[in-house]
Amino acid sequence: MSSKTPKGPDNTTRNLVIGMVVLVVAVGAIFSVLSNKENTSAALPSSVSKDDGYGIVYNGDIKGVPVIDIWEDFQCPVCARFEQVNGGYIEKLIEEKKAKVVYHTLSFLGPESALAANAAACSSDENKFLGFHKAFYQNLPAENAGVVTAEYLIALGEFADIKSPKFGECVKNLNYKDWVNNVAASGGEKNINSTPTVFINGKEIRRGTSGTDLGEYFDAAAFVKAVEGK
Amino acid sequence: MKKAEPWIGLLARLVLGGVLLVAGYLKVFTPDKSMMAVRAYEILPIWLANILGIVLPWLEVGAGILLIIGVAIRYAAMFGAALMVLFIIAIAQAWARGLSIDCGCFGGGGTIDPSQTKYLEEILRDIGLALCGLYLLRYPITKFALEKKPSQELVPGE
Repeated sequence: MSSKTPKGPDNTTRNLVIGMVVLVVAVGAIFSVLSNKENTSAALPSSVSKDDGYGIVYNGDIKGVPVIDIWEDFQCPVCARFEQVNGGYIEKLIEEKKAKVVYHTLSFLGPESALAANAAACSSDENKFLGFHKAFYQNLPAENAGVVTAEYLIALGEFADIKSPKFGECVKNLNYKDWVNNVAASGGEKNINSTPTVFINGKEIRRGTSGTDLGEYFDAAAFVKAVEGK
Repeated sequence: MKKAEPWIGLLARLVLGGVLLVAGYLKVFTPDKSMMAVRAYEILPIWLANILGIVLPWLEVGAGILLIIGVAIRYAAMFGAALMVLFIIAIAQAWARGLSIDCGCFGGGGTIDPSQTKYLEEILRDIGLALCGLYLLRYPITKFALEKKPSQELVPGE
């Protein structure tokens, strides 16, 4: 066997190449694992609760009402559809304090999702999250096409009646970058495997099984029934 | 036939290595998606699926590079073939259990619409790639490999 083992420069190059590849793989993997961990010192936007998976919470202090958890990604067209079908009703529930609603803004679709989630957190500081959320989905650009920039998000903020210069700073400086990662990590722990994923009192609502069966996600009446119970 | 073997081996290296490199590269920078893809198979505990979702793309990149430049061919080919066999098992069980998922092989992944599943194509592709790996395990001497005389250690009695 030893007669077949290469010697000399060939062997050195081989070991060097193997060493480099192993190093790149190990450094890359370890770095990725660490950067996907929850960062407990992350700056949190107002109305975010760590206990609710770092989601943006409405009516968190009201007891005895249904709890709606919405896991979404700003770049997901199906989430835009969910917002279009049920957004108005959910806003009404929030206004009338008839439900606790938690928005979890994931960012697995790419960097522009993370930018949008950060901006949404900034809008929450201005008490304009719902307006910003709606405005974003109404103008949903193509996925990672370079449309979603700080300028775009600030303009969208004006559309949602956010005029404070603090919002612009917050969007540009990515103030809530670490929080965005924490939401993503929390989605991983909660086994969220597609968006939108919606829970009512901890139980996922029914997904449609075919093109004609809309489930409880995209049939407004079925969603109302799911929230308000029998 | 003897003359063709190194050329077939080169092709097997480039196909398996190329696919691993591209598939890994497409996932290393979107770890959230890749973790989601592994979780959607519903085999592993969530914490383990999440770690695998991050680490696996890097391992694919590493094995892909080794195969393309032709170093440690047998180890990389064995890793690649074993990986494909695991993928085939994972996809087949998802199919048998009636899950609706994307294999997440080249990014993407997670739960999808039942009409969009492509289990058969995914399994056939992975069988082809596993065969590339097995060929290299048997005939590791290939054209244009950096390592001219790959170690024979992995095949006893040769």
